[in-house]
Amino acid sequence: MITATTSAPARRRLLRNPWRRPVFLEGFTWLYIAWSLLPIGLAVLFSFNNGRSQSVWQGFSMRWYTGDPLQSVLHDPTLHAAIAQTLKLALFTTVIAVPLGVAFAIGVDRWRSRPAEAANFVMVFSFVIPELIFGVALFFVFNTMFTSVHLGTLAETIGLVTWNLSWPAIIVRARLVSIGRQYEEAAADLGATRLQAIRRVLLPMLAPAIFASAVLVFSGVIDDFVLVNLLSSTSKTEPMSVLIYSNTHGGNGGPALNALATLMLLFSFVVAIIGFVGYRLMTRGERTSTDESLATFAGM
Amino acid sequence: MVLSAPARVRHRQHPPRARRRVLYAGLSVPAILWLAVFFLVPFYAVLSVAGGQIDGIRGTPIPEWNPLIWSRASYHAVFQEFSGTGAFLGPLVLRTVEYVGAASLLSLLIGYPAAYYVSRFATKRKGLLLGLLLAPFWVSYMMRMLAWIGLLQTDGYVNRILIDLHLTSHPVTWLGGKASTVVLGLVYGYVPYLILVLYAGLDRIDSSLLEAGRDLGLGRVRTFLFVTLPLSRQTIITGLLVTVLPMLGDYFTNVMLSGATNTSMVGNAIQGQLQSTTLQTQGAALSLLMLGVLAIPMLYYVVATNRASQAAA
Amino acid sequence: MGELPRPDSPVTLPTYADNAAIANGLEPETGATLKVFNWTAYINRAVVRNFEKRYKCKVEITTFNTQEDALAKLNTGDLQFDVFVPTVDVLSSLVAAKQVRPLNHGYIPNIHQAWDFFQNPFYDQGWRYTVPYTIYTTGIAWRNDHVSGSPDQLENPWSFLWQEQYRGKVAILDDYRESIGLGLMYNGETDLNTPDVEKLTAAEQALLNLAKLTSVHIDNNDYTNIPSGQMWIHHAWSGDIAAAEYYMPKGVSVDTVSYWFPRNGRGPVNNDTMVVLAGGKCPVLAHLFLNYFLDVDNVIENISYNGYMQPIHGVTGPRLVKEKLLPPNLTTTVVLESDFPRGLRELQISASARQVWQQDWLNVSRGV
Repeated sequence: MITATTSAPARRRLLRNPWRRPVFLEGFTWLYIAWSLLPIGLAVLFSFNNGRSQSVWQGFSMRWYTGDPLQSVLHDPTLHAAIAQTLKLALFTTVIAVPLGVAFAIGVDRWRSRPAEAANFVMVFSFVIPELIFGVALFFVFNTMFTSVHLGTLAETIGLVTWNLSWPAIIVRARLVSIGRQYEEAAADLGATRLQAIRRVLLPMLAPAIFASAVLVFSGVIDDFVLVNLLSSTSKTEPMSVLIYSNTHGGNGGPALNALATLMLLFSFVVAIIGFVGYRLMTRGERTSTDESLATFAGM
Repeated sequence: MVLSAPARVRHRQHPPRARRRVLYAGLSVPAILWLAVFFLVPFYAVLSVAGGQIDGIRGTPIPEWNPLIWSRASYHAVFQEFSGTGAFLGPLVLRTVEYVGAASLLSLLIGYPAAYYVSRFATKRKGLLLGLLLAPFWVSYMMRMLAWIGLLQTDGYVNRILIDLHLTSHPVTWLGGKASTVVLGLVYGYVPYLILVLYAGLDRIDSSLLEAGRDLGLGRVRTFLFVTLPLSRQTIITGLLVTVLPMLGDYFTNVMLSGATNTSMVGNAIQGQLQSTTLQTQGAALSLLMLGVLAIPMLYYVVATNRASQAAA
Repeated sequence: MGELPRPDSPVTLPTYADNAAIANGLEPETGATLKVFNWTAYINRAVVRNFEKRYKCKVEITTFNTQEDALAKLNTGDLQFDVFVPTVDVLSSLVAAKQVRPLNHGYIPNIHQAWDFFQNPFYDQGWRYTVPYTIYTTGIAWRNDHVSGSPDQLENPWSFLWQEQYRGKVAILDDYRESIGLGLMYNGETDLNTPDVEKLTAAEQALLNLAKLTSVHIDNNDYTNIPSGQMWIHHAWSGDIAAAEYYMPKGVSVDTVSYWFPRNGRGPVNNDTMVVLAGGKCPVLAHLFLNYFLDVDNVIENISYNGYMQPIHGVTGPRLVKEKLLPPNLTTTVVLESDFPRGLRELQISASARQVWQQDWLNVSRGV
């Protein structure tokens, strides 16, 4: 009985104790986490449903992965194609966007001129523009102006690179700002050329930021829908998000879609874990850089 | 600094300023060109389509590349949709503002406490909690919508739980054009982005300021109200921008979770125009108008982040 | 462009010197991938697989959800699809844009299995560019375990959809021709190709009223939404409903599904076609594919999945019922040869009329 054993001032002190566990906030946070993850868990569960329904459980089966001769992930070519295309686009985009963005960040940060400021302005603008508006623009430019770029993998890759370029550009720039220029200058003083200074001194220091942005670009592509929906052509070029959308919208959804999404999920988590471990290894000793790169986007 | 050398030496060894400039400009040129060709030029194409004609047989747009003779017909058509006899855009814009407003407010109410807790109080399990908060990023948006479609079916778990709890006697048709379902979908889809920004911002608040607050005898609630909240004002604004802007262009959440005309948003109208061959020029015009309106909050974001990075430097 | 094709004003589609048919006697492309552009769930993969085996090729099927979607995508340029399934109202513009290739009849002997009418249709005299694919009526499907009555009991049967008490459970098709057409028929209009702005505005008003009453859903998923009970009344295509049994959830009988269509010449009867696209890389295989889907055995197997009848001799309602491909309570979905001269047809309209129709549809659908 607290009331019986604790004096009033002590009780007030207890209530005010800043180091007390904030039970309400803690509970709320866990509730939120449950709400955000439980539906996904159920969707994964239903990929093992022995029936067509995505809402009524009819027993466990591998039917939608391997069993069904026409509609399982193993046997339906459009489903393989969707996974292959998603990974292909994620890889192409990361490989092109990250070097472009990193070079941009270094150049613009050290160049310090009006054109650099203008370019940076456009870059940040491309980060916040609603995807649909940018997608409409790309749709028209490929249909009316750059007509030699047919819709399909090339158009999708160009669109995704442009859309994701801002991740490495902004994150790496933020890191550059916090590093300052003294290291390169010191390297120059020791006789290194500018280029050598960048390669030997700057790039290793930027490695965690570059790596983090690569992971973000990769996951951003997997998540993307609007651009790829507008820019895909044949079923071979439709990544998973488009396939899920058009089949659900087209009424042909079934647990095979859940199975497909589950496989993709597994893959994403492998990448996420590699990313996390890699990042940890690179940033041993400096604890702040994750928060720093996140903060850049928060405008802090 | 151990590495710093006498000024004399530095002076001699540094390459001339102009050459350094060339190097740095050269590094940024590829991306600048890329942005020019694939980000800026496409908007010229949209302007040209919106200012162009429609092919008399195929109904496809014929762009007009010369800005001097851009037609205003498609803007006029969009204007008609606002005020003409078949006007429907006005209510659509209002609804979009309502849904996005409700969804972002709810996102803030859900996201802030979670981000606040993880950034301030989670000590030992911070890594785990942060990982769980960020987990939805690794699940495709479409899969997350698919998950809710399963749950919200007439015979889905949501209805079964409601019936078991005697909260309703008949299953609710959640997927039959309900505003609440669309708002829920938007919150579910975008709240992780908001939390990410809020977390990053809250985590950077100098804890000595909070301790100062306590030293002045403020309780936890008042420390929050008078110290944390004012300090996180900028984070809240940018966080909301980062979620509101994409929500305004969202059409797929709506299609997946409702598919009824009475929940349609502006993004749906643009998408619908794009899909009707003869209305594509209108789609170009409407997306440009939307860009014009949203340019203000977008510019605000650009300026705010720019200011922040300058302050950091 | 000259006359619009109508049953009483048949049209011979033009051919062009720079868009010729393929030569006679060519071997099918070897090791090739035939690219087919088709509606979602509109072809039986098992039949396609047999085709692949027989001609030692791969078939890649890309799907679309609405005809407009498909045309918008085709218009984006060189997608290299070989086979497409257009409705008849868009043929002329496909031909004028040289997007379709004239057929070489030598590769398509199975045309003789088709009903006479389809061996020389008014929309493509001498079947220069098309062979028939599916035939269907457009009517109303409903769940008789949730909805009482039937359209036949109503003075205006189309008003069966306009029922406020089933709010959230009523859907119309996502197709500007079908749905604006529905609005026209609701208003008692029987010309489903009218360019008359006033009539179209009235149809738009009727549909807006429907949206207000029932919070109407717009989708082409009648074939899953009615069986699953997601929707109770659906503006529907006969073939989609004929396939209902395949999509019924466990424990719900297909007897709960009903389909209505007016046989008095006051409802739409249409057919889709199959064409060979000019941009495809496998024109020979494409011809063989068209031919394959005119053979009665393949057609029956195709129907076992997609439900849509084809105008082929030997494909009849009684046979489908006997082979358990069609539940007896859904024989209302059967399309008869005699339905064609009587029924309302959705045919080509001028580009300016099309813009009015599409604008009216956008005003109703709001892009959903």
